[in-house]
Formats: sequence, structure tokens, C-alpha cells
Amino acid sequence: MNARGWLFAYLAALVAATFIHVPALLAALLLLALAAAGTTRWRLLRRTLWAVLAFNLTVSAGYALMTLWQGSFSADYLILVNLRVVLMVFLGFWFVARVDVLAALAGWPTATLVITLALGQIRSLERVIADFRLAFTSRNVAQPRLRDRASHAGAQGIALLDKSMAAATESALAMRSRAAFDD
Amino acid sequence: MHIPDGFLSPQTYLPAYAVAAGAWTWAARGLRDKLDETTVPRLAMLTGLAYVLGLVMVPLPGGTSGHALGVALLALLFGVRLAFLAYSGVLLLQALLFGAGGITALAVNALAMGLVGGMAAVAAKKLLDRLGDTAAVAAAAWLSVALPGVVVALVLGIQPLIAHRPDGTPLFFPFGLAITLPAVLLPHAFIGIGEALLTVAVWRYAKSRRWT
Repeated sequence: MNARGWLFAYLAALVAATFIHVPALLAALLLLALAAAGTTRWRLLRRTLWAVLAFNLTVSAGYALMTLWQGSFSADYLILVNLRVVLMVFLGFWFVARVDVLAALAGWPTATLVITLALGQIRSLERVIADFRLAFTSRNVAQPRLRDRASHAGAQGIALLDKSMAAATESALAMRSRAAFDD
Repeated sequence: MHIPDGFLSPQTYLPAYAVAAGAWTWAARGLRDKLDETTVPRLAMLTGLAYVLGLVMVPLPGGTSGHALGVALLALLFGVRLAFLAYSGVLLLQALLFGAGGITALAVNALAMGLVGGMAAVAAKKLLDRLGDTAAVAAAAWLSVALPGVVVALVLGIQPLIAHRPDGTPLFFPFGLAITLPAVLLPHAFIGIGEALLTVAVWRYAKSRRWT
């Protein structure tokens, strides 16, 4: 199957998972996905569990507390919703690990171009953010005031805008020089 | 604020995709005819910028912080359509590559944060301009966080009503509106204040560079 086929299979699996309300079936599908994921399964599962931990733990604990107090607790619900979320997020990580997302989007050239350029921008701008954070930390021995942190956040925003505008101009010039849209 | 996969019923996300498809078509209209070596990098730049603005820590009283949305800034500087498209691209990338948010929830997240947030910011700026630029931009930024919060809380809060077993046990998100509205809105009211400070600072700079 080609990359776009995997993309459609992934989307169909996501939709199907939201129509299944039997925990045993969802557990079987998760086991099947784990088995099919091959040697990367435990790394992907660990990544999945870290990704869902905060939100699912908050929702599950809140639900348990509320329904135990109200006398309507359902372990079936907790198993169902957590299995569904883990399955859907695992499928996403497996898809991205197995398939080149840009190749899957190849049928939409403009989308591929925008995403490729955006990913490059993101990587470069992430470095700006990291540099700002390290500089701010190194220059503040004590806890900075709210005013200082607000000014720091504003400076980051300005630097990001500046760098983005410069990068967009640079890309436009590069594309124009290569006659990217002459067809 | 992102809703992850698995907590929205198909009765919610499928109609949301229909609405979002219309909104994406509206946002891309005109842009598609103008896609060239200037507009494509600009859209990509905005998508990248929208993503990293979400990494800027917005300071909150008490030493804590939240994440900026950046939608108000994008909408005020580049218009609602571009801001909505860029933010949708960010959500798609976050869902596919970084596991944040979700594909089934993409339409709701994009409509709430990208469209409602962007429209709220632009409308508030227009309505409140007579109060002065700073007040109008600050109010726009605060609303661009608070209103999407209301939408997300409403969408999550109706899940137990529209998707449950015959005995009333929920099938997706378990909490009703009485819980979701205060749980989402109270923290975001504070995050909105930080977002307003950030947006005003960058807005003033953008004006000084004649980007507005």
C-alpha cells in the first residue's frame, strides 16, 4: 500500500474506533495494532501513554471522584474511554513512524509545499525560543517579576515575527529565482 | 485547550468537519487564485509562527505560566482568513507529527481557536477602537482566548447528553456543562490576561514597523 493508502486507512480506523463502544473489542484492536507495529511497539506505546497521561488521568480521576460521590460509578466507562484514547493516539504515532506524512500528502502539492516550508520554519523558530529561554534563565538569579516575564514574552513574540517575515521574504525570493510558479 | 482524540462523539466531530470544510473553503477562496511565490511562503511562515507562538510562555500572577495562542496577533496583523488557515495547519501538524490534539477533534479545535478566536479578536478591535489602540488590542486578545474556551467547554459539556448508554453512562467526555464551563473558563480568563500583555507588546512593535 502506498503512503496515501495508509493515510486513508489510518483515518478510517480513527472513525471506526469512535463507533465501537465494547471495551473488549477495543482491547482486541489495541493488541492487534501492538502486534502489527513490530519492534517499535513498546517505544510507540510508551510515547502514547506519556502523551495521554495528563488529560486522561485528570478526566478519569475527576470522573471517579464525582461518580463515586454520586453513586453512579462505572468502571466500564473508564476502561472504554481510556482504551479508545490509547488506541487512537497509538495509531497516530504508528502511522507517523511508518509513513512519510509528506509523501501521504503528495496528491495535494500546495499543502505539501506549505507544510514543508512551515516545518522548516518551526525548527528554526524553536531554536529562537530555546535561546531566549536559556538567556532569560541565565540572567535571572532570583525569580523574575511578572513585569519582567511579560516583557520577556513580548520580546520573544517580536523576535519570532521579525524572523518569520525575513524567512518568508527569503523563501519568496528563492522561489521566484527558481521560477517555482511559472507553470 | 486542545481537545484530544477519543473524547468527541461522531455526532459532534462529523458535523464539525462539514462546518469546517465550508469555513476552510471560505478562508482559502481568493487565496487559491493568488498562490504564488509570495503568498505560499507567507502562509507557511504564518503556520510556523502560529505554532511557535504557542510555545511562548504567557506569564501568570503567582509565578506560574500558560501557553500563548497567538491567534489574536495573527488575525489582527494578517486577517481572519489567513489566521484561520495557518492555525488549522498548526493543529494538523501538532496532531500528526507531535501527537497533540487529535485528528477527529481537528475541526472543532480549528473552528474554536482559529476561526472563533480570530473573528472575536478582529470584531473586538473594531468595536473597541474608540477606547484607544492598547485597550482595544488587549480586549481583542483576551476575547480570542476566552471565546474559544467557551466553545470548547460547550462542545465537551454536551457530550454526555448526546452520546450515552441507555442507563445514562457517558460514552465519550463524561462531564456536563456545569463542570466544563467553569473548569475551562476560569483558567483561561487568567491566561487571556497574559495573552493580552503579550499581544499588546508585539502589536506596538508591529505598528512601529508599519506592518499594520
